[in-house]
Amino acid sequence: MHSEKQKHDFEPKIIAFVCTWCTYAGADLAGTSRMQYPANVRVLKFPCTGRIDPVFILKAFQQGADGVLVSGCHPGDCHYIAGNFHARRRFAAFRKLLEFIGVDLNRLQFSWVSAAEGGKWVEVVTDLTERVRAMGEMVEFKDLALEEQWSGSLNTPELQEAYDAI
Amino acid sequence: MQSDTVDTSCHAAIAEAVRTEARRILSDGTVTAVIGYAASRRKGSTQPIVITSVDDADKLIFSAACVNNLAVYLTKAKKDVPRSGRIGVVVKSCDLKALVGLMGEAQLKREDLYLIGIPCTGVLGSVLQPAALLTTASIASKCCECTDRLPPGCDFVPSVQLPQQPRLEQRYTDEIARLEAMSPAERWEYWKEQFSKCIKCYACRQVCPFCFCEQCLCDRNRPQMVEQTPRPAGNTAWHLVRAMHLAGRCAGCAECERVCPMDIPLNLLNRKMARELKELFNSEAGFEVRDKGPLNSYQDDDDQSFIR
Repeated sequence: MHSEKQKHDFEPKIIAFVCTWCTYAGADLAGTSRMQYPANVRVLKFPCTGRIDPVFILKAFQQGADGVLVSGCHPGDCHYIAGNFHARRRFAAFRKLLEFIGVDLNRLQFSWVSAAEGGKWVEVVTDLTERVRAMGEMVEFKDLALEEQWSGSLNTPELQEAYDAI
Repeated sequence: MQSDTVDTSCHAAIAEAVRTEARRILSDGTVTAVIGYAASRRKGSTQPIVITSVDDADKLIFSAACVNNLAVYLTKAKKDVPRSGRIGVVVKSCDLKALVGLMGEAQLKREDLYLIGIPCTGVLGSVLQPAALLTTASIASKCCECTDRLPPGCDFVPSVQLPQQPRLEQRYTDEIARLEAMSPAERWEYWKEQFSKCIKCYACRQVCPFCFCEQCLCDRNRPQMVEQTPRPAGNTAWHLVRAMHLAGRCAGCAECERVCPMDIPLNLLNRKMARELKELFNSEAGFEVRDKGPLNSYQDDDDQSFIR
């Protein structure tokens, strides 16, 4: 087997939070079937998508992820009956929050990948990697993490006024 | 904008009725304590008070400076205090929503409470000038969009005629619309600026009736999920986590915003999330005790257009 190795200027870091019962097995299937997919994705295994807390995603972005993938079982196939239904609601809300804060939602992907869908896993990961590659580095959260000092401005007119009033 | 005065002439009658009712329920043993407002040292200012004897009932007052949400005195740190009986609590409708939310989350029982509802004309936005006149400019932002001036389902509500309220600007709605019209980069700049002011005093958490976890996620360091230093990264994470934890629960009492020493518009985030959850799951904080909030229940046919 032979595949063209490609060099890119920017290799995005993709963190994938996956459920152990479906997507992890799906990714495993992709591997054992010798399907090729970008090596940019780091897979983290969770018992269920219901276990994936929004703070994990924030943490991933702060630690240098350029894209995040959350993936689990299709609705109705959850090993714990309803974990993915709860996750679906939570992430629907979390997406709105991130959008309101000013994060580009194209960096964040949610998908259902079952244990039999090795092909879909490859497709999802390739898609996200290429999209994030085109968008470039995620700098917002990294910049925040790099700012060492408390950066509130101490000389606003309001504070001065309050100070004078004391 | 020209500011109109809000008619607060009913406050004296409300205060009198609250005192009379407190005296009655304390003397006939309906309750063992009443949580209400009393005058504080500065002219016009108020502070929460817990009274246990009939003689103290005269201390109770009500004015536009009674901004505190007293629901917070019934949860968290007070868990260890043995309940000696029913407790009377003075509530405005926003505070009542918080209590109802807490009942839904099994933190309180309705039968342990005696609710003294306040027909509310709005409270002052700033406690820095407690003696200020209540006008359309000085009124709290939360009151501008309040539609529930009479708290329903209370054990006692003073019967007063609520005056016509002047037209109020919808500050949160306007501000959310203004932010939504911005580009993502501009919004990021806005919130970065706001969050960078945070000094991690956690006053927003301490004053919030819904932040009753015995151990807060943000105080844990094994594993440490949210950075604890008052640096921009930890600040942003903290406020996002808080907004997420309050999504679908927040009663909109705006206490977080009031106590914030750095004037971060925290309730703006909460209002936005409340609106999104109403839109997504048709669920909002109200006066009916709910077994399940929007984020701990689900429906098979929830929208999943964002999932591939």
